Amino acid sequence: MIEVQELTKRYGDTVAVDGLTFTVAPGRVTGFLGPNGAGKSTTMRMIVGLDRPTSGAVTVNGRPYRDHRDPLHQVGALLDAGSAHRGRTARNHLLALARTHGIPAARVDEVLTLVGLASVARRRAGGFSLGMGQRLGIAAALLGDPAVVVLDEPVNGLDPDGVLWVRELLKGLAAEGRTVLVSSHLMSEMAQTAERLVVIGRGRLLADTTVDELIARAGVGSVLVRSPEAGALRDVLLAAGAGVSSDEPGVLRVTAAGAERIGDLARDHGIAVHELTPRRASLEEAYLDLTREAVEYR
Amino acid sequence: MTEHLTFPRVARSEWTKLVSLRSTWFTLAAVAVLTVALAAVIARAVAGEVASGDQPPPDAAGAVGLAFLPLDFLVLVLGVLGVLQMSGEYQGASARVTFAAVPRRWPVLGAKALVFAALTLPVMAATALAAFLVSQGFLGDDGVSLGDPGIAGKVAGAAACPVLLGLFGLGVGALLRHTALGVTTLVAVLFVIPVLLQPALPGDLEDDVLKYVPTIAGQAMYGSLGENAPFPTLSPGASAVVLVGWVALVLAAGATLLVRRDV
Repeated sequence: MIEVQELTKRYGDTVAVDGLTFTVAPGRVTGFLGPNGAGKSTTMRMIVGLDRPTSGAVTVNGRPYRDHRDPLHQVGALLDAGSAHRGRTARNHLLALARTHGIPAARVDEVLTLVGLASVARRRAGGFSLGMGQRLGIAAALLGDPAVVVLDEPVNGLDPDGVLWVRELLKGLAAEGRTVLVSSHLMSEMAQTAERLVVIGRGRLLADTTVDELIARAGVGSVLVRSPEAGALRDVLLAAGAGVSSDEPGVLRVTAAGAERIGDLARDHGIAVHELTPRRASLEEAYLDLTREAVEYR
Repeated sequence: MTEHLTFPRVARSEWTKLVSLRSTWFTLAAVAVLTVALAAVIARAVAGEVASGDQPPPDAAGAVGLAFLPLDFLVLVLGVLGVLQMSGEYQGASARVTFAAVPRRWPVLGAKALVFAALTLPVMAATALAAFLVSQGFLGDDGVSLGDPGIAGKVAGAAACPVLLGLFGLGVGALLRHTALGVTTLVAVLFVIPVLLQPALPGDLEDDVLKYVPTIAGQAMYGSLGENAPFPTLSPGASAVVLVGWVALVLAAGATLLVRRDV
């Protein structure tokens, strides 16, 4: 369980995180979304006590992170790819981390196998690809068998296999009852993994919701209209204040007007309509709609 | 045995980090070999000049000073190794991993200091002893022996001074968090400031101040300045106290900033 209360972080005049309040509950994957620079990474660093909030508070499993005696068992965090010293082997990097808590070396080998790095465990991290660095970072996050997992853009640099693997891993961790917070600037990635979404922009909370609610709330549905007189219908719709775009001849994509209204307008003007299909906004559209303002005014 | 943070565990972690880097071993081997080899070369040259009558035989202070002359600049290597212990964490992002695991942070610096001393002190003790024995071997009858008054203390000083300056570097690394900046600052503090202070200070103040400068206190610990220093120095024991004080000050400042700053 992560509880963020009125969290604010200022760097000089810049406000990176602005009065953020949300809760991340155990047992499901929570997606942490926002455009680049929205304050996701800063918030994650504050969760694990690396950055000190300007005001507000964040607790993990009921306590400020710093007050835990066994931080690695409370929270496993992946904050940056390539977080191992270049000159140290993957195994020694994890071994040093494990020793802070008296975690046995056998667990190090276990997580190395889990993330698929067992064969390169004794190679120095400086020679690792971005994807291998991500896997090593995930191994470090899982080392303490933590109740809470916080991952900042974990699929960056991973190949399609790796992306799929992370997706299954996250779902598995949540199914085991852990709290999983994973950030991304790509809605398409989150849509396949997260049940719950926390969306921020310019450091402020834009939505704390489920995937379905987000689409419903954003309300940027469109209607697909097929007509032999598409040109004429287009003029009618535009005159009525609808938005019209077209990707292929004879097919219009209409926004800001419902199927009923489009049908009525076509009938009133004697235009034949062959297809009238209301379309829900895709999650991507809902997300872009939500964050548009936050991006524009940066 | 439950798995949670303890200081001894953080120290074990830092030990693993220190000894798992090849650069640690290369650096220490280079310092040991260079110190002993240069001590031999210097002593051999001096012995040759004494034999040919080009210079008088060194007195006891001079003889022991010759053995440790190479340390005057090789201490910098230990200092840089110290800086790297901390600044290396910030070169990639391993500092985030380290301090997420030990969120109180200061135990990390304490553990780094402890394991750095634990590894380098035996190495430098062996190095100092070898450099002393080799150089006195070349000096023959003009050399001094470990049993002579004050000599064992200077050999101990030669072992301890580089370790203390390494810890000083560790503190500088914690303060500045950047390798190039840390090394430059260390060079400035250890080698540039003492040279600039001498002409900058009026004569009587110079005598009062210079002996407290870290480098000069360090050199006084092993006596490379001999009896002919152009300004008074403290005894090896008092110099050690002064240098320990500097180290404590820099490490305490480093720990304070480490805890207060964002990682």
